[in-house]
Order: sequence, then structure tokens, then C-alpha cells
Amino acid sequence: MEKENDQLKGPNEKRLSAVRMVAVALIPIVVLAAMIAYLLGPGQSLLNTGTPLPEVSIERIEFHEGQIVALVRNTGPIDVTVAQADVNDRIHPAAIEPSKELPRLAEAKVIIPFPWSAGEPYEIGITTSDGTRFSKGVTAAAPAPAPSIEQASFFALVGTYVGIIPVLIGLMWFPFIRRVGSNAYRFFLSLTAGLLVFLGIDALVESNGIAAENIAGVFNGQILIVMITIFSFLTLQYISEKLVGRAQMKLASGSTTRVQTERQELIRPVAIALMISIGIGLHNFGEGLAIGAAVVLGQVALGTFLIIGFTLHNTTEGLAIAAPLAKIDRRRAMIRKLLVMGMIAGAPIIVGTWIGGFLYSPIAAIIFLSIGAGAIFQVVFAIYSWMSRADITRTRILSDAYALSGFAVGMGIMYATGLLVPS
Amino acid sequence: MSRSQTIILVSLVASILSSAFAVLASANQFSAIAQDNNSNSEKKLVGGHAMGYSAYETSGDVLDPVNNDGKMGKDAVMNPEKYLRSFNYGRISTSPNGTTVREFTLVADDRQTMEISPGVSYNVWTFNGTVPGPTLRATEGDIIRIKFINNGTMPHTIHTHGIHKAEMDGVFEIINPGGQYIYEFPAEHFGVYPYHCHVQPLEQHISHGLYGAYIVDPKTPRPPADEMVMIMNGFDTDFDTENNFYGVNTIPYYYMHHPIEIEKDRLVRVYLVNMLEFDQINNFHLHGNLYNLYRSGTSLQPDELTDMVTMSQGERGILEFSYKYPGQYMFHAHKTEFAEKGWTGLFMVKDSSETQHIASSGGGR
Repeated sequence: MEKENDQLKGPNEKRLSAVRMVAVALIPIVVLAAMIAYLLGPGQSLLNTGTPLPEVSIERIEFHEGQIVALVRNTGPIDVTVAQADVNDRIHPAAIEPSKELPRLAEAKVIIPFPWSAGEPYEIGITTSDGTRFSKGVTAAAPAPAPSIEQASFFALVGTYVGIIPVLIGLMWFPFIRRVGSNAYRFFLSLTAGLLVFLGIDALVESNGIAAENIAGVFNGQILIVMITIFSFLTLQYISEKLVGRAQMKLASGSTTRVQTERQELIRPVAIALMISIGIGLHNFGEGLAIGAAVVLGQVALGTFLIIGFTLHNTTEGLAIAAPLAKIDRRRAMIRKLLVMGMIAGAPIIVGTWIGGFLYSPIAAIIFLSIGAGAIFQVVFAIYSWMSRADITRTRILSDAYALSGFAVGMGIMYATGLLVPS
Repeated sequence: MSRSQTIILVSLVASILSSAFAVLASANQFSAIAQDNNSNSEKKLVGGHAMGYSAYETSGDVLDPVNNDGKMGKDAVMNPEKYLRSFNYGRISTSPNGTTVREFTLVADDRQTMEISPGVSYNVWTFNGTVPGPTLRATEGDIIRIKFINNGTMPHTIHTHGIHKAEMDGVFEIINPGGQYIYEFPAEHFGVYPYHCHVQPLEQHISHGLYGAYIVDPKTPRPPADEMVMIMNGFDTDFDTENNFYGVNTIPYYYMHHPIEIEKDRLVRVYLVNMLEFDQINNFHLHGNLYNLYRSGTSLQPDELTDMVTMSQGERGILEFSYKYPGQYMFHAHKTEFAEKGWTGLFMVKDSSETQHIASSGGGR
């Protein structure tokens, strides 16, 4: 490390002490602080042009027994005072907690006693002291799920149907994929990649929608999506490389018996399958948030048809986990691994519905959806880089008709089953 | 661990912490729950005034223009209590030929931002500092002389409905900021009229508040009555050409929390003018009673006995009624949208034995 540092330094540079280093680093910050202090004080009048306009965002609307509750946030450049609330543009007496004075980025809860009717659309408006009205609509009023045991187990049941069961059903393709030939295997691996790319894009589109509709501009929701997706991709790539590398190193240090070589071959497909199930788990978590929130926001009536749609859609996720493991010669141990991975992929949807239903937060939703998208793209990258190296599949992916058609069919399946699920 | 690993680990932890912060910050529930607990200030009730509405006890602030828990501030654009029964008869003199001359002074201003509903301020354009401007009143045949001073930042005029010479119409003689003009015309025909600024864009000048009522009494006065003036108006505070607030005499719901006290069996006469901008129609519906409607007030014979009159902008009339039974009676626009955005009030009918203090302004002066 010493060597490295010395190499970086120019010959004439002297080494500063740690304290002086800190001091030098702080100088621009001190100057910046002084400038801000000046602008807030005597320099204020120099730069004040135009009229800053207030902005209030209604982040969430809940329907409780005899009242409508709106959570509002001051997302504008100036402090605001809330003067009144309305339902469907008709003034109604309301309470605001903790205060009608909202400093920048502060939030408040507006409680409007109102005999609402389930299933009807409502628009909630907030008027600030300058007479500007901000509003948000709800497609169909539905009672806010209270975090009760019944509600939690209802969500768990829904999550089991749309998350866990389909993934486990999909895993039942494992024996089939084991028996297919090399060309067909490349087809199915690529099909998996196609499924995943669709899910990744779906997560990005969905989080973009949430960012555009539910997140105030001040939070830069769309930039957050791109940032988190890239960061998630790079982090998972780093972690999976480290994991595989460390495991391989351990094995390589011993003598190379037949068993160990076999194990070494096993590591990468298992790692890939694990990463796929984690990626899908994150995706399903995001899906759970969306389902839970949709129930709260009254956008979705969870009916049998919808659940069947989700089930068909998610069954393919099991296939994605099974495919990389299929050509490994150790069938017995695989069953348990498959089940664990199935749970990793499917169970997060239940936690997602709880969080989405009970404490829905649009920012949380886009964070998890973006992490899921990054994870999924990383998995696709891992599948293809493994396919181009592994003995069973060694091929030039881009010039392989089986890989290409598999990818296309994978995306096509997702698109077709996606038609059964309202977005 | 190598240095690069440490850096990655630190940045990982930092980013997880910051995203956790973002999640917490956006999950309002946490702070909302905290707010519920740490309140030791007094609790206030909201709601429960109307049927089917449950009351809610809050430690926060109450937003209630309907029952006026918010209270109007000192900079309210007008006092509807005072305005209701105020009639400005002008400074009276007699011309050489014996005609009564009534002189009024009206000052226009467009610089003030004042409260138009509890907690809501708006840049009001005013005659003599209020919206609506003062109610001008004369008897048929009098000479009206209005000294107009433009104290604002843009051109204004006074256009009075009624019969007068072209140059007294307040349309082509634009009065610039700091300028003055004297409008002079005989009061004819008897009736009730609006006056308002007639500078383009007209919509802007009217919706900001430059209007008022002008009453010409017939030479033989109408029978004595408890007289009041009501101007139906509204405000578009967010400039989307739709009104956010409706009312009579400006302040939404004012006569709900300050019911108008009237006496049982005593004749009530309402001079009603519709100055509402943006909406094509407005109306006046009276509960528990019927009124004699004199359209434009230009006849002594009622046009209709009704509880509903619908008016377009600039239309007006005189309403005469008396209540047979004591109690509280609503009056409001029967366009319920307007009613539920402020255009609702109450008459409190009292037995005459209970009400000694009501102002008894007769039909004359």
C-alpha cells in the first residue's frame, strides 16, 4: 500500500500530516458556507427575482370508518400554511396534524370526517393560504387495511397463491430440463434469460410509473431508479464474483480429486441459480408492494381471475431457477436446494404485500423494484457469461439460433401471460 | 480485508442507510404515530356538525371555514355583518333648480392582498377597500355624482348599469393610475343595478372584486322593511378560470356561523345582485318560505312568488318575504356545488318579543 501511494505522488510533493490533510480538504467547504451565509443575510436582495410558488403533494389517501385521511407533504420551495381541505372539490371541515404550518419537506396528516362509500372514486384537495389548490384522486374507495391478524393472513394467502405456489410449480420442470439435449438446454437457458429481461424491464417501467405519479419532483424519483438499478447490478456482480471466487479458491487449494473437480463445476450453476432466486425474490417483493398498495389505493379488486393471471405469470420464474441446475449430476441434494431457492424467490411477495398494504410508501416501492431490476439484469449477464464458458453449453451465444429463439420465446411467454394481469 | 474491499463495504453500508432513511422519511405513518402521542395541548373537535358525519378530536389544527373555527383575521376584505344592512346615500346637496344631488367618492385599488376566506388571502381589487364596494342608494330623479379616484397600478373605470349619457358609461374614458373622473347622471329608472369596472380584460377586473350594488328607490317609497343587500360572488384563487370560493357578500359560509337575525312576521327585503364570474348561472333558494320576486326591481308588481330565482352574471332583483314561524332557515345557491363551496347562509327568525336590537332601517332613510 505504501508503495502504491508513493508511486502516485509527484517527486516534489511533500507529505502532509493527517490534520493538515483534513484542513486542506475543508477549505472549500468553509468558503461555501460563508457564501451561503452571505446570501441568506445581506446578499439576499441581489438574487431574489420571481415569485416562488407553493407546492403540496398528497402522498397517500386512506379511507377509515367515517373519515378520509390524506398524508400531505410540502414539496415546494417555500413554507406553506394549509387553509382548507375538500372532498370532490367541495369544502369540508377537517383537522390537520401536527399543524397547518408546513415548513419545507414537512408532512402532515389531514383528517376529514366524511361518510364515504366503498367503490366510489374520490378526489381530495388541499388549499393553501394563497388560494392554490392541490388534489389527488382515488379510483375507488376501499377501507384501509388495518394491520390485523386477519388482514395479514389474507395477504399471506394471496402471496402464497401468486408467489410461492407458482414458483414451486415451475420448479417441477427440473426433471424435464435435466433430460433435454444440449441444443434444447441452451434454448431453455436463453428462455430463462428472456423471462428475466422482461421482468427487469417490467420493474423499471412500473417504478417509473410510481415515480411519475406518486413522488414529488423534489425527490428525483426517476434518477433514483437509474442510480439504484446500476448500483444493485454492480453490487450483486461484485458479491457473486467474490462468492464463487472464494469457493473455488478453497477447493483448488486441496488436491484435485474427482469429487472436488465435480464440485468446482457445480459452484457456478448453483451460484447462478441462487442469484436468480434472490433477483426474482426482490422482484416479487416489489410485486407484493404493488399488490398490497393497489388493494389499499382501491385500484385492484383481487379476484380469482387476477390470481390465476399472476400464477401463470410467475410459474415461469420457477423454470428460471431450475434451468441452470439441470445439468448437474447430483440429483438428491438438488431437491432441497431447489425448495430453498423456490422459497427465496417466492416468499418475499408475502412480506411485500404486508409492507405495501400496511405502510405503503412510493419511495420504498421504487427502491425495491429498482434493486430487483438491477439484480435481474445481473443474473441475465451471469447466465450468458456462464453459458459461453461452461462445458455443456459452450457456444457463441449471439450466433446460436437456439439461444436466440429461447430468448424470444421467454419474452413472448411473459408478454402473453402479462395480458392476464392488469398493470 | 484489502482497502478496496473496505471502501466498497463502507459505501454499501452508507447507501443502505440512506435508502433506509428515504423509506422512513416517506413512510408517513411513523411520524404520524409519533405525533399522536406527544401532544399535550388541548384537543379540538372537528366535524359532527352535519348529519352522518362523525366528530373527530384533534390535537392539531382545525380547518373549518364552514363553522369558522378558523376565524377571519384582521385583514379580512370585508365585514359581511356590517355590509349587509349598510346603504350609502351620499353627501346630499340641492341644485339651483331644487333637485337633490348625491355625491359619492369611490377609490379603486388593486394592490392589496386580503383574507377572503378563513386563512386564504388573495389579491383583491377594491372600491373603497372592500369587495363588494359600497352600496350606493338614491331616489329616482336625484342627481348622482360619483367622484372616482384610481389609486391602483392599472387603468380602471366605473360602469353603472341604468340610463345615462355615453360619456358617463365608464367604458371609453379609461382612467389611468392616479387619475380622476366625475360621473354624473340622473338616477333613473327605479330598480337595483350593479356597478363595476369596465376595463379589459373585463373578466380579470370583475373576478378580482371591482363591483358593487346601486339602488334607485321609487319616488313613492316601497313599504318599510328590514332591508339588506346581498351580492352573489366568488373567487378564482388559483387562476384556472373556475371559482374556488362562492358566497353572498364575499366571505364563504359567513352567514352560516353568523346567522342573519330577522323578526317573525316582519317584511324582509333583499336587494340581490349576481356578480359571479366564470359560471354561467347562480341562484338563490330560500328555505321554509316563498318570496315575491321583482326582477331588476323596476316594477312595483312582483313577477313571481317563488323560493328559487336563477340569474346570469349582472342579473338582479328584489326579494320580499316574511317568516310565519321562528327558527333557523337556510338560504343558498341551488347549484349545490356553489352551496358546498361557501354560498350558504342562515336566517335566524326570532319572535319580536325576543328581538329588540335589530336595526330597523326603513324603505326611505
